[in-house]
Order: sequence, then structure tokens, then C-alpha cells
Amino acid sequence: MSRSLHISIAASFVALAASTIAAQAQTTVSFWHSFNNRAGEALEEIIANYEAANPDVDIQGEYVGNYNDIVARLQAAIPANRAPAAVILEVTRYGLFADGGVLVDLTPYFEADPLKDVLYDYAREIGVIGDKNYTVPFNSSTPILYYNKDIFARAGIEGEPDLGTFDEILKAAQTITETLGSEGITGIAAPGQFARWGLVMANGSDLIDSMTGEILLDDPKTIEAYEWMASLVDEHKVASADGVTEEDNGRDAFLAGKVGIMMNSTGNYVGAREALGDNLGVLPMPCNPDCSVPIGGAGIGILASAPQDVQDAAYDFVSYAASAEANAIWFAATGYLPINKNSAEQPVAAEALANQPGIDVAIKSLPYAHGRARTPVVTWMRTTEYDVWQAMALGQTPVEAAMTKFAEDTRAEEARISN
Amino acid sequence: MSKLTPYLLVAPLVAFIAIFTYVPIVSSVDLSFRSWNFMSPEMPFVGFSNYARLFAWDDFWDSLKVTTIFAVISVPIRLVLALAIASYLKRETLSSRVLRGAMFLPTITSTVSIAVVFSWVFSTDYGLANGLLTAMGLGKVPWLQDPSVTLLVLIFINTWKQLGYDVIIYIAGLQAVPQELYDAAAMDGGRRFQVFRRVTVPLIMPTTYFLLVISVIEAFQIFTIINVMTRGGPAGATDMLVHLLYRTGFVLFDIGTGSALAIILFVLLIGLALVKARALGAKVHYEA
Repeated sequence: MSRSLHISIAASFVALAASTIAAQAQTTVSFWHSFNNRAGEALEEIIANYEAANPDVDIQGEYVGNYNDIVARLQAAIPANRAPAAVILEVTRYGLFADGGVLVDLTPYFEADPLKDVLYDYAREIGVIGDKNYTVPFNSSTPILYYNKDIFARAGIEGEPDLGTFDEILKAAQTITETLGSEGITGIAAPGQFARWGLVMANGSDLIDSMTGEILLDDPKTIEAYEWMASLVDEHKVASADGVTEEDNGRDAFLAGKVGIMMNSTGNYVGAREALGDNLGVLPMPCNPDCSVPIGGAGIGILASAPQDVQDAAYDFVSYAASAEANAIWFAATGYLPINKNSAEQPVAAEALANQPGIDVAIKSLPYAHGRARTPVVTWMRTTEYDVWQAMALGQTPVEAAMTKFAEDTRAEEARISN
Repeated sequence: MSKLTPYLLVAPLVAFIAIFTYVPIVSSVDLSFRSWNFMSPEMPFVGFSNYARLFAWDDFWDSLKVTTIFAVISVPIRLVLALAIASYLKRETLSSRVLRGAMFLPTITSTVSIAVVFSWVFSTDYGLANGLLTAMGLGKVPWLQDPSVTLLVLIFINTWKQLGYDVIIYIAGLQAVPQELYDAAAMDGGRRFQVFRRVTVPLIMPTTYFLLVISVIEAFQIFTIINVMTRGGPAGATDMLVHLLYRTGFVLFDIGTGSALAIILFVLLIGLALVKARALGAKVHYEA
């Protein structure tokens, strides 16, 4: 064997050993999230930017499904000691994890972080339970009202439509269905749960009072809002029942140009614009009579099971993800709300605001956006609400009876889990 | 070879089964008497309260009822159809072999993929099924919105997926029936239906018994199609036992009640197997 070959082999071993040592010196932060497609690419860009500035930290982002999937997987991972270091958690469903001591109290990190001074109040608030801060906001949203300009024009509704009240929305949906129903076009997509919550708030009520925790499912205003929503499907037939049993069907039909109106998260803005182009119109949610929208989305929590150095690195990344630089990338790519007061000044965000009409509608909704309850019973309530809504919208149970029983069951569940 | 050798040879398999089957069963029994939400370090013993909660829970009885209806309808349809098709495909011809392969394809296809495709086929306003009905001048059917129709849709899809397996097993059973018995029956003047009833049916009883046990277990354990297509809807109408178990444990964080439901399902299936053994055992003969 030649001398040069010996030297090459020895050099290879040295290089391998050096790279192994370097790899061991890195802190690895496993991070579960719920973003794929365009949003997933934007998140990868944010992670890559962070890693470029922090070569000693390896952020291992992993898409693990939607918010529900994350909660289910997290539950299985915790007793198996396979939980990630950081995880995206929907704003109303992290209370149980915080309550169970799974999440790190981030208050000490937050108090020492200049980030706290540049986050919008609404964004900072979503991570707080009592006097502790459990998540840092990442993707915040409100529901907004999307409409298809082409469908409206073909139905004879010219100009920017009046869609500020329940009556106006119903009237437009009826006009579209009557005019274009023969082409398989329906007036409105059955509202998904986030939009339903928003419509209840627009009608002057809530599902659970975010301040007192009082269950308001049988409040007359709540029932009235659900009666209107159910009537879109069951009575007026202006919304397809497909969107009742599978909420994504309503969104997909809107993106396919088969539905006139959709109420959905602002996080759908970029996807809707890509699908409909200049035919996409965006308006605030109705005020009927209240102007009030819920804040949705998710924040990033850090798990107490992670070693201290990993927790520190995870917080550093989470803080970066909420920075103006990262948040501007996120806002421009997805349409989620800016959470950082300085995001709009970033060139990428300024360009999006200038060139993507309607992307600022949710921002304009912020003065009347409100946080939602996140007490432990919220998870049960939201899970059960799907069945109750289906029963009402498909005409199987009268709305008042369904909501009254739902309220009773939720109160009983709250009493059970608090014992 | 020492006396210990056979035990040592089977020890790895026994250990594998013990760790991955029996330990989880025993663990589930233990969890069914405790209150736990995956996160709490404490799992207080609560006696039979999880079982009591289940028996007082309307969702449990609704789920048991719909699962039983699903099994009672789908199992006979599967077995009768499979036997009929197997009788036709048992011949060793090229077309039979091709059709057997075609029949078996759904069985080895991903259940999730099947459920996603059928979700679109049975979409009320945008699906292929109603598209065809509309083209024929008929009205739309709310396939996934009407509880009774949705149950039939699920039975159809499950039958379509599992039928190939049943057919293959039945073909093996039919091919094992000695030809001499058919020849003797023919010489005695037996008519086709008589031969089928007096010769074929008794001799394939072990196969029928096996398929009955397997298909009932499958029917009570159906989950994937439900979780992808209906998530137990509309309005909880197809929330079958294993889906309810998943919802209780992994969505509502109630591991104790979920485990109690798993134990009830376990006991129920053992009970059904015993009933079937008592009812059919005397008719099952493994030799011609």
C-alpha cells in the first residue's frame, strides 16, 4: 500500500473524528410543528437563518400534522420520554400541558428578553395563564371573510359587497346560490370552528368567557349565532353539507372557485391568493352588532423534560422566531398576523403589504381582537363541539336543545376534571 | 441436546410476545383502575369508577350499538359474497388467477389511501357517486351526512377492502375439498345445490369458522376508515368502539376510561369467540 494512501486514510479518520466531535458540540433542539407546503417552507427558511447565525445549535424541525395531531402525539411521547424540546401548541389547548407541569414556565426567560417590549400586547397575552408565561407567540391569526369577486360579479353583485352583518351575508349567499347553483356553485362555505367562534363573538357572546371562565354555550346570543350558522346549511341550503362533516372541504371548494364566501383564518390568505389571484376579495368579519374576533393560531412551548442547555437553546430559537426579521418572513409567506411591532418595517413585509391587497385586513381587525379561554375544559369543549355542530347543521337536533345540553355537559366535565 | 434446549430456543419468541403483547394488556388492566392524563406523575387508584363512568356514558352505549350493527350487517355480507366469488374463482384458469389478484389488491392497499379516495367519491356536492346519480337524472344522496346512509357507506368500503382476503382463504378451503366426494355425490345423483349444501358447506366449515372469528374481530376493531372519513360523525353516528377509545384516551386525555374501554372490548371479543365456539364448534370438522 502506498504511503500516500496511508496518509489519505489517516486524514479521513482525523476528519471523521473532527466532524463527530463538532457534531457532539452542537446543541440539538427537536421542534414539532404543524406547517407544511408554503408555510413549512417559510419555517424552514427561518430555521436556516437561525442556524446560520448560531452554528452551535441544530434545530430539527419536524412536521407532525395539525394541532390535534400534535396534541395526540405529544401525549404518547411524554410517558415514553420521547417528547421534543419545543413544540407548537394551539392557543386554547396548551392549558392542560401547562397545568400538568409539562411546559417550562418561560417567565424568567421572557422578563430578561428585549423581545417582550416589541411584541404586540395581543400576541404576548396568548401565552399567559395566571401570572406565568408558557408559550411565545409564533403564528397568530383572526378569522376574516374571503369572497370570490368573479362569482359575485356573475351573480350580479357589483363592487365591494356589503357583508357586515349576518343578514347581508345570507342575502349575498342566497343570490349566488340561486343564480349560479346550476353550475355547482354555492353561496358560502359552512363556517369552521374558528369562524363559528368568531361569529358567536360578533353576535355579542362567547363560548367560554376568557376572563371568568364562565361557560356561555347556552347564552341566548350564542344560541342565536348557532341558529343562524346552522340555517345556512339546513334551512337556506346556501352552504354545502360537505363542509359540515369535513371543514377542509369548504375551504377547498372556495379555493377551487366553487363557493362565493368563506370565513376562515387569515393564515389561509396566501394560499387563497395563489388559488384565486385578483379574484380574491378580503373583508373583516361581520359586526352583528359587535365587532369582535377571536385570536387564534399557536405559540411555541418548551418542554420541562429537555435538559437545561437544550431549554436555553430552544428559547433562544423561539425568541428569534418571534423577532421582526423572522416574523416578517412568516407574515409575507402566509398571511398570519404580525406579532412583532417592528415586522412591518422589514422590507419583505413592506413588499407584501404593498403588493398583496387584503393582507392587512386582519391587522386592521386587531383593535377588536380578543383572546379566548384556555382553561383545561376547553380541549373537551372544542372536541365535543364538532359533533354538536354537525347535529345542528344537519338538522338532527334543534339548536337550542343541543346547545343547552352541550352547556350542561361542559359544566359537568369541568367539575369532573377539576376534582 | 439438554432438556433446556427447547425452552432456550423458544425463549426469544416468548419474551417478544410477553413484552409486546401481554405486558401492555396487563398494563391496560392496571390503567383502567387509575386516573391519569399522560402528563401527571401520579396515577391515583380509582377502583371501578372508570368502568362506572363508561356504563353511565351515553356515547359508550351509542358506540356499542353502532359497532354491533356494523358487525351484524358487514360480516354475513362479507362471508356470503366471498364464498360465492371463491366458488367461481377456485378454478385454475388464467382469468381466475388474474381476477384473484385483482380481488386481493384492495386488501394490500393502504387503508388511509382508500379512505381518502372514498371521501371524495362520496362527497355530497363534489363527489363522483352523486355526479353519476345527477347525470342519470337522480337526486343527490347525503352519503356522509345521513347517519344511516353513512353507516352503509362504511360497510361497503370495509367489505370492498376485506373481500379479497376472504376470497383467497375460501379458495384455499374449497380447493382442499377432495374431488372424490364431488364425484361420489354426482354418481348418487346429487343436484348442484344439494352438493353445495351437503358436501361443500360442511367441509369448508373450518374456513368459515376462521373467517367468522377474524371478521367479527375486525368489525369490532374498525378504526382507520372511521378516523379518516367521518371522525365518528355525522354527529357521532359512526363513533365506533375503537374510535371512541382513541377519542377518550388521545383527544380527551382520559387514559383511565380509555383503558377501561379497551378491557371491555377485549372481554367482549373473547366472549363472542366463546359463543361462536359453542354455537359452531360441533359443526367444525378438520378432516373430510
